[in-house]
Amino acid sequence: MKRLLAAMVVAAAAIPMFAGVAGLPAPGDAGAPAHTRVAARYVEAGVRETGAQNLVTGVLLNYRAYDTFGEVMVIFAALAAVSAVLSRGPPARRPAEARPQVETSPVVAFVIRLTAPFIAIFGVMVILKGHLAPGGGFQGGVILGALLVLLSVVTGRGLERPLLSAPAARWLQAAGPLAFAVVGLFGLACAGTLLGYPAGPGADMLRAAMMLMLELGIGIGGAAIILWLFLQMRGE
Amino acid sequence: MGAALQNLDYFAFVILFCIGLHTLVARPNLLKKLLGLNIMETAVFAFIVTSGMVDGGAAPIVDGTVTGPFASPLPQALILTGIVVAVSISALALALIIEIYRQCGTIEADELKGVG
Amino acid sequence: MSQLFDLVMLLLLIFMALAVSRSKDLVAAAIIFSGYSLVMCLLWQHRGAPDVALTEAAVGAGVTTILVLLAIGRTCRREK
Repeated sequence: MKRLLAAMVVAAAAIPMFAGVAGLPAPGDAGAPAHTRVAARYVEAGVRETGAQNLVTGVLLNYRAYDTFGEVMVIFAALAAVSAVLSRGPPARRPAEARPQVETSPVVAFVIRLTAPFIAIFGVMVILKGHLAPGGGFQGGVILGALLVLLSVVTGRGLERPLLSAPAARWLQAAGPLAFAVVGLFGLACAGTLLGYPAGPGADMLRAAMMLMLELGIGIGGAAIILWLFLQMRGE
Repeated sequence: MGAALQNLDYFAFVILFCIGLHTLVARPNLLKKLLGLNIMETAVFAFIVTSGMVDGGAAPIVDGTVTGPFASPLPQALILTGIVVAVSISALALALIIEIYRQCGTIEADELKGVG
Repeated sequence: MSQLFDLVMLLLLIFMALAVSRSKDLVAAAIIFSGYSLVMCLLWQHRGAPDVALTEAAVGAGVTTILVLLAIGRTCRREK
């Protein structure tokens, strides 16, 4: 009975989707309305209006900056919720014999320590070159966050003595929303709307500086949030 | 039928979405349901990014070296935000699953129905 | 040639999704999901979306897999 119900739910979802998808223009068709009417304007005017050669970063941080503001608030709220859920009650301590301890192998530790500086440089480069090459704030932030998680595993530092000290970490986790707030108010002062960029060719440096600050905020915030998600979920 | 075969990519993503939906609905284990939700999410992301693809198009980076057709940058920006939201959902769902296991001792939905 | 690549990637995605759904060992499901995320990343790179591919590789094959494995470690490993 349950299997029949599950199959019916899936069929009820699948049939309209197949019918709808069959009527779409073929993927890759350059004459589809999505390309000729909507995207063409952004491809033509993107570099001139935003100053970013990577059009995706230009869309994310200039045309649709509000959505990116929402995104950093969502991941910050996720960290707050995870901390709230996992810090209630006594720590989940299983008896020692029920939980097999696996030592970090020396090969893994050596390789991580050897490659950590290169990964850090790569992560910072991805953040800083976000407006010129594929990359951007969140991508570099996740790379740095993954590096911090690896270092936490190798050095064995959990929640008691984390890699970033707890008061500093709170400010770094909030770096994303804070950067958006600062740049947003600055944009309000310059251009009259929240997160508004000053228009005109003379304001190129200013626009680039604002985008860079947003990217740094998203990157550092993302890295700290990912490290803290890992530490919270690992528990003791 | 010819028109249907052109949209083969879209059909594959619909199939992936249905596999994810079936996993979410039919499997009782909560972690398995979460993996099904993630499969659904990535199938939707793939569908939207594919709708912005252009045959022979280049990545939307205008640095003067490529003058051909560009893939549309708008779906890609939308999906970047979507991926961040998906990881936030997964993190919170996993934290809740850990807490449910700590409180109730099980993460199978059938057994959870009987727990006070 | 590029269509053959596309077809192979899509078939691989469907098989991996089926494997995640049917596997009883949750660690195996998590690792296959990480591979699914990697193949999705390759698909997007092929479609001209390098930013999305970079994010999916870092987030899907990195962060989500780590968090799922941590959760499995604190709950059960096998599905009943």
